[in-house]
Amino acid sequence: MPVVRLYYEDMERLIGASRDTIMSRMAMMGADIGKSAESDHVDVEFFPDRPDLYSPEGVARAMQGFLGLKTGLVDYPVQKGSVVCQVEESVKSVRPIIGCAVVRGLEFSSEAIESLMGLQEDLHWGLGRNRRKVAIGVHDISRVSPPFRYLGADPERKFVPLDFTEELSMREILQEHPKGKDYGHILDGCERYPLIVDANDDVLSFPPIINGDLTRVTDDTHDLFIDVTGTDPMVFKALNIVVTSLAERGGKIESVLVKRSEGDFISPNLEPTRWIVSADEANQLIGFDLTAEELADCLKMMRFGARAEGSMVEVHVPAYRADIMHSWDIFEDAAKGFGYDRLVAELPKTVTIGSAHPVELRREEVREIMIGLGYLETMPFTLTNEKVHFEWMRRMPVPPGTTRVLHPISELHTILRTSLLSSLLEIFAINQHHPLPQRIFAAGDVVVDKKTRMHLAAASIHSSASFSEIRSVADAVMREMGLGDEMKIVPSQDGAFLPGRGADLMKDDRRVGLFGELHPLVLRSFGLEQPVVALEIEWGELL
Amino acid sequence: MLSESDARVLKAISDGLYDPRIIAEKLNMKVEAVRASADALAESGLVRVNKSVKEAFSLTAEGQRYGKEGLPERRLLQEIASGKPVSELKDPSSKIGLGWLRKKGWAVIQAGMIKPIGSAAKGKDEEVLESLLAGPKSGASLDSSGLEALKSRGLVSSSKTKEWRYEITPEGRRVASEAGDAKAQSLTVIASGMIKNGDWDGSNLRYDGRLYYARPYDVTLAADRIYPGKKHPYQRLIDRMRGIMLEMGFSEIKGQVVQSSFWNFDALFQPQDHPAREMQDTFYLDSKAEIPDYSRVKEVHEHGGGIGSTGWGGCWSPEVASQEVLRTHTTGVTIKYLAEHPMPPVKVFGIDRVYRREAIDATHTPEFEQLEGVIMDEGVSFRHLLGFLKEFYLKMGFEEVRFRPGYFPYTEPSVEPEVFIDGLGWVELGGAGVFRKEVTAPFGIEQRVLAWGLGVSRVAMLKLGLKDLRLLYQSDIQWLRETPLSIES
Repeated sequence: MPVVRLYYEDMERLIGASRDTIMSRMAMMGADIGKSAESDHVDVEFFPDRPDLYSPEGVARAMQGFLGLKTGLVDYPVQKGSVVCQVEESVKSVRPIIGCAVVRGLEFSSEAIESLMGLQEDLHWGLGRNRRKVAIGVHDISRVSPPFRYLGADPERKFVPLDFTEELSMREILQEHPKGKDYGHILDGCERYPLIVDANDDVLSFPPIINGDLTRVTDDTHDLFIDVTGTDPMVFKALNIVVTSLAERGGKIESVLVKRSEGDFISPNLEPTRWIVSADEANQLIGFDLTAEELADCLKMMRFGARAEGSMVEVHVPAYRADIMHSWDIFEDAAKGFGYDRLVAELPKTVTIGSAHPVELRREEVREIMIGLGYLETMPFTLTNEKVHFEWMRRMPVPPGTTRVLHPISELHTILRTSLLSSLLEIFAINQHHPLPQRIFAAGDVVVDKKTRMHLAAASIHSSASFSEIRSVADAVMREMGLGDEMKIVPSQDGAFLPGRGADLMKDDRRVGLFGELHPLVLRSFGLEQPVVALEIEWGELL
Repeated sequence: MLSESDARVLKAISDGLYDPRIIAEKLNMKVEAVRASADALAESGLVRVNKSVKEAFSLTAEGQRYGKEGLPERRLLQEIASGKPVSELKDPSSKIGLGWLRKKGWAVIQAGMIKPIGSAAKGKDEEVLESLLAGPKSGASLDSSGLEALKSRGLVSSSKTKEWRYEITPEGRRVASEAGDAKAQSLTVIASGMIKNGDWDGSNLRYDGRLYYARPYDVTLAADRIYPGKKHPYQRLIDRMRGIMLEMGFSEIKGQVVQSSFWNFDALFQPQDHPAREMQDTFYLDSKAEIPDYSRVKEVHEHGGGIGSTGWGGCWSPEVASQEVLRTHTTGVTIKYLAEHPMPPVKVFGIDRVYRREAIDATHTPEFEQLEGVIMDEGVSFRHLLGFLKEFYLKMGFEEVRFRPGYFPYTEPSVEPEVFIDGLGWVELGGAGVFRKEVTAPFGIEQRVLAWGLGVSRVAMLKLGLKDLRLLYQSDIQWLRETPLSIES
């Protein structure tokens, strides 16, 4: 989740409340506040559905409402501007959507620059799917001359990218510039690359990779041109979040005329979205008992525009909110505005009779048998690897029906176990410094042919572990589980056992279990130095 | 029953002898044999053996010489009588003596003359020297300052020796006196015939014409440490949670480890380009599942499904939905169950293993247990969810619970319950919310569904005091053996 660094002084100034007041309520608005707070700032995580809170300005706006200092919808005036941005046909197959705006009259303190850069990065992550869906460029507009053009350019087109002093072609940027290396894959397979140029053909931006060095934002910058490009209408939400955040810092928003063959439009569009919601529905969902007026008041604290009309509430959702998809999203905000801490917890009245799953009841019996026999329960991982599971167990080749994960995160975890025994041997291997005998079992799940099956494995390690010991245990288990009569014991060919000292348990000609004395070569693979006898039995299948 | 030699040793100790050497001498036995008998008697609680380490001091060769001749400074003092020029001292031992004379303040040097002063009384060091000349002695009988002085001059060395001192116990005294009668035989193992036909009087037995005595043991002695077979401490915690859920009227459900993306993600209204669905977070399999009729799920993703939702827009792909994964949560199992049982009321839960593509370390494992439960019924609300959560945590032993807003893609509203733990403060423990309409509507579920999930291993860390999650799965056997069943969990 994005972490926003909030400087207390800055927040006090932006919100108009004391640090203590702010910090005591922030978590109840929906935030994870870092524990290791410094004296002058705190790092706060906001949820991925609220990109409008990814900047101190956005947090301040929300907190002002939540603390009741300024409630209701914020009006952000948009002056009609003279800047035009022409979208050319050549870019439409590559990165078709663009929204832009001009913001003037900014004074960039270091906090403000840090906040803008942070917001940009967090939006790239949170809304932009790492710039694929949405990428934002911010420019010093005084360095270029409108009108601007957004086009698909020849990859050989050259310009000086940000943080470089020499011209590179766009193709070279993808290979040599750090940002090109990070994000170049987004343009894989494109014949033309997105580019924004001014009236003199000077480059503002090569979205979604890098800006031109020409329009770099510095302490002296006062007027910004903002471009947001991408493949999804979420572009406009990102633009709204950026420009309203800058307006909170005192910037004056000016519109840009975006000209396209399918129709021109004025950008940004900060008109709120209108919803009509029912107070009854909110009351039923949350469980409180509010009038439409009270509901509207709760929503105003969350900076919605809200007006009660009978039992309904007309809600104006701010243009910077990217998370309102359904009336319940609005009701959740109403509950936050009301205060989660003011909601009285009440037990549901639903009366039902509970019952344990048959598999778990059976597992409990299996456990009881093994515990009675003096075995300690273990709960090993179900992820393992071919080497331990098959090669060390002398059970190669890997049988079909083994579940392999596509992109393992380590060599240790490449498949789901199809049996439990190797896991017990691994546990013995890490416990060799403890007194023997050691007797352990696991009553866990395995996966074969993508079906979850329940197994029991038990193993005993000590200097006089013998076949007769495990035979007694196997008999006891089968007897107690009521399987004795159905099972036939036949000599096993399983490579894990010493030849002639392993037995298979057969039920209707299918092997459902085995027991015996493990082959010394198996023990050696696991690094064990004492004899081990073991059994494994399948006792259930999840249908 | 005592062996003859044990009986003799017991008698000797009972008579007040305590030193194995003396007992050996007296009984004409080897010292080792006496010690072995005494150890056996001690094990039966008849004698007590006090072992101690004694330090003995003896003179070095130089110390021996001085012991006989006197310390160099004493001899020099006699030699100079009333005064002597320093230049006349030739003997090397005189040089040593001169240093000590001055140090002890027995003489001064004036104008090249050594002159005695004071009375030069016999020092503690000289007393100790004299006393050690007779033979090695323990430190207790010697003056410590004198001893230290001699040690620092290399005149005394020490050696450590073990000493045994025996003492009769009251029981031993009784056995010794009876052994003297030579009538009753001591009895350790009680034979079956003795139980059936013996003539018992307290510990005394008359059997088969003989007298026996079942001697008491020292019941305070430690025995070998053994361990019962046990449930895993983590399983006990899981069972406790299962018990709470069952008590509260929930039925247990289970599902497959391998799930389609459809149930794991799409049915829960997770957009197909959601970051949590990416390869770096989820274990995908190289296989496709059959997915059920998906038209309503597709509709809700693309356009909101006619329930007043905007949907995600874009194009929903059944191909993507059919990709198989190791379940990343048990919620897929839950929604599938609800889809099959859409009529209220439903109260179900499950505790099962889930998989996340995370590198393994002390606080992350690629698989872990999740507790999950839902209540679906007419008229249930978010406030009822809070009520359930509070009750559940209370039953788990967390008395203070508070609720913070949270975010989960498939619930709205969402809440993060926190419990107060001494020393840690407020700790987030799980997540909960009301299933979004976009989740329930496509499956014909008309009532609200209250849902919550909880990372069980996190509770285990708190309850079992674990620092490393891996211990749950790659267990240290000694930890399993030593963790008592009755642990507060």
